[in-house]
Amino acid sequence: MLDRSALHHLSEAAVAIELETPDMTLNIGPQHPSTHGVLRLVAKVDGEKVYDVQPVVGYMHRGYEKISEVRTYPQIITLINRIEWVSGYANEIPFLVATERIMGVEAPPRAQYIRLILTEMTRLSSHLMFMGSYPLELGAATPLMFALRERERVLDLIESVTGGRFHPNFNRIGGVKPVAGAGPSQKKASQDLPAGFLQETRRAMDQVLSTSDEIEDLIAGNEVLLARTKGVGILPAEVALAYGVSGPNLRASGVDFDLRKKADYLPYDELDFETAVTETGDCWDRWWVRLVEIRESAKMIKQAVDQIPSGPLQAKVPRVIKVPKGETYVRAENPKGEMGYHVISEGGQIPYRVKIRSASFNNISILPHILEGILIPDIVAIMGSLDFVLGDVDR
Amino acid sequence: MSDLLANFWILLALKLVAIGALVPVTALVIGYAELKISAHMQSRIGPYFAGGRWGWAQLIADGIKFFQKEDIIPEEADRQVFKWAPALVLLSTVALFVVIPFSPTLIVQDLDLGVFYVLAISSVSTIGVLMAGWSSANKYSLMGGLRAAGQLIAYELPLLLAVVGVIIQAGTMSLVGIVEAQASFEVFGTIAVPYVAVQFVGFLVFMTAALAELNRIPFDLPVAESELVMGFVTEYSGFRFLFFFLGEYANMFSMSAIASTLFLGGYHFPGLNAEIWGPVVLTVKILALAFLMIWFRWTFPRLREDQLQKFAWKWLIPVSLANIAVTGIFKVVM
Amino acid sequence: MTNNPPESIEDIAASVAETVGATRHSSDLGTVKVYIDRVRWREAVTAARDDAGLSFFSWLSAVDWTNDVAVGDPPAEEVEERYEVMCAVSNTTDGQIVILSADLPKDDPVIESISSVYPGANWHERETAEMFEITFAGHPNLVKLYLTSDFVGHPLKKSYGLISREVKPWPGDVDVEDMPDSAASDSPSFENPDA
Repeated sequence: MLDRSALHHLSEAAVAIELETPDMTLNIGPQHPSTHGVLRLVAKVDGEKVYDVQPVVGYMHRGYEKISEVRTYPQIITLINRIEWVSGYANEIPFLVATERIMGVEAPPRAQYIRLILTEMTRLSSHLMFMGSYPLELGAATPLMFALRERERVLDLIESVTGGRFHPNFNRIGGVKPVAGAGPSQKKASQDLPAGFLQETRRAMDQVLSTSDEIEDLIAGNEVLLARTKGVGILPAEVALAYGVSGPNLRASGVDFDLRKKADYLPYDELDFETAVTETGDCWDRWWVRLVEIRESAKMIKQAVDQIPSGPLQAKVPRVIKVPKGETYVRAENPKGEMGYHVISEGGQIPYRVKIRSASFNNISILPHILEGILIPDIVAIMGSLDFVLGDVDR
Repeated sequence: MSDLLANFWILLALKLVAIGALVPVTALVIGYAELKISAHMQSRIGPYFAGGRWGWAQLIADGIKFFQKEDIIPEEADRQVFKWAPALVLLSTVALFVVIPFSPTLIVQDLDLGVFYVLAISSVSTIGVLMAGWSSANKYSLMGGLRAAGQLIAYELPLLLAVVGVIIQAGTMSLVGIVEAQASFEVFGTIAVPYVAVQFVGFLVFMTAALAELNRIPFDLPVAESELVMGFVTEYSGFRFLFFFLGEYANMFSMSAIASTLFLGGYHFPGLNAEIWGPVVLTVKILALAFLMIWFRWTFPRLREDQLQKFAWKWLIPVSLANIAVTGIFKVVM
Repeated sequence: MTNNPPESIEDIAASVAETVGATRHSSDLGTVKVYIDRVRWREAVTAARDDAGLSFFSWLSAVDWTNDVAVGDPPAEEVEERYEVMCAVSNTTDGQIVILSADLPKDDPVIESISSVYPGANWHERETAEMFEITFAGHPNLVKLYLTSDFVGHPLKKSYGLISREVKPWPGDVDVEDMPDSAASDSPSFENPDA
């Protein structure tokens, strides 16, 4: 007969033996399918558990701020288009507004409306891309195709106006690009937008709205996806604010902060739209906020198309842009969050300094905080839900 | 002729050739089906040009491409293990084909312990996966291999337990015996019904666990390309990669075949002569199940490791145990 | 700080300046900027967050003010040689953004880190440090962010030249330098006649 206490002792001993398990350092990236480019995460992992993540950025640093000091203002507009290539057009707006503000010109209302429509289309394109790529990162490949199909419609519309899909280069300081051959011979001011554009836009926006329902059906009803995103990667509002996380990521954390309503750079105050805000701040909320924003943007575009005033496209600006001395910071609600330019002009054709505030930079600086004590698959789920673009991080 | 067939060695050689041909063919058929079906689910066209029509030769072309590729073995890899891992995976797949009854006689070898053999052999492929993951000298591969091992332990059990209900009902472990038992199994009146009618829970558990065995979405954690790059196959290239690829799709076929045999009546269909129509009937059933798997793959995201384990241990195993208990009670009472 | 709509931007600037203890303030071109003595930097930023309600950290960067530039145009008028560190913070109620600014002498470019006040400033300070050679005292991990650890130089300093531009003039220069005077007559006008 065995002694009970001896048995107990034995079991205790078995528990007390701890295997030496050295931590593994896992380099996720810079070449990795889920890092959207060349982000590198140095993760300390214990099995599947991650307990420390340090992002390493800079693989794509192109020095835009430095190049901006040797380029003229119109050249910079072309340049900054490439900062965040998924929503290139929207990058230009705050810089343009900043420059125009220093110069004391204002784009005519019609130009502003065209800018607004194109910005919202860019937002649609960016968010639709997210709608597709996020489930893909969680393993579902089909939503991507649905989302890309819709994105194509939007890109086609952008192309029909500007001739470009990703980097339209359509903005001019003081307005937007007039159509080719415009000038003194131009009789009607409405020759700027291609014929039938407004009708086509209305139709496409209805399509986008119905596809957004389709995507919602496809994803929101998917138990596995809900299990992967609900309660994962919760970002409390005060942390998000202190890190400067902006855009849909901030709104998902319950902060009603949308620069379209709170900053003055395009005539958003003439449109009726709602800001999507959710409470929890988990991955699912971040997804949901973007879905709602797709709908709101589509509605905004429809309103803007109805309300677009006629008139000139270009304010009177000199042929060679010379900007007087002055400094201003203008920020805008980009698809990824707050995009802003602090432009310091000392007079002349070249700015003295341009500070580029990009949304993704702040948005991923949250990663070390948010990726602690989770499992490896959640890294992908959380990173994907922040929706960053490496070009926007590295500038 | 019959003398020739009676010779053991000639018959063996014939059977080996048949299986050797069947494995790649099934892999091609299911692989092509996956390409086309997924394309249509995603409003795409899919392969279109290869072969002149509907892109039927796409996968053949892919296969030839793989043979042209350089066979890269990482410097730090454990060479022998690395080389043999894909072979082991394919081997287990081929070995499964041995016991699939396409008709009462069209079977390589009907074993008395057929079910037992299937369950044992099907888990050998996981050892190949673990070997691949371990020998690649790559952290992602290692994690993929370990995930595969964890998955095997978790899902082998419900797979096994789900089959127990069928065995109790049929009273035999021979696959032909199980099909024959279903052919004469009548619940209401005269038409024979397959076991899925009474073992529906078992069928669900079996299919779920089979998906996990096959590393298919939503259980594709060992490859999980967005997390682990390509999991255990990260370092493989050329024909060794092709082996994994073949193994994956041929395994889909064999797993579906086992499921059809156990739950859907195998080669038997009421009113059709099993000797003549058996292979067709079985193939239709297999393709239906394979379609189901493809459908899942293009619908679901993948689970997380802890969710996967929770699902197996907290849901599938208790459910299949309850299923066994209920089946046993009915067997005794009725 | 509650902003009533009628409050002018000048009043906002004055009120923030008072709250954070700024030496002076400006609100030109709609940008509120308050100037802070660098010894009170961290204290002022904390006050901005806690007392002025500017809870949203937007960005932090610097400007190299110098008359002797290697690239670009020098300032129009003589400026005092200094670094200007700027930190933009905003509230979330009406989106008013305030830029806090502090001057650093060139021979002692040190300022207190505010990464304990706004954790988001951590990366911005690292970037500013590597680009301008400014030291943020008390920063937990002041290593290079974008540049490789063996990178020599501080690219955003005005004394840091663009080598490729010196070797080969940028072709776009032509467009900049030749056209100004000839713009009037025969080149197509891009001005809208209705404007």
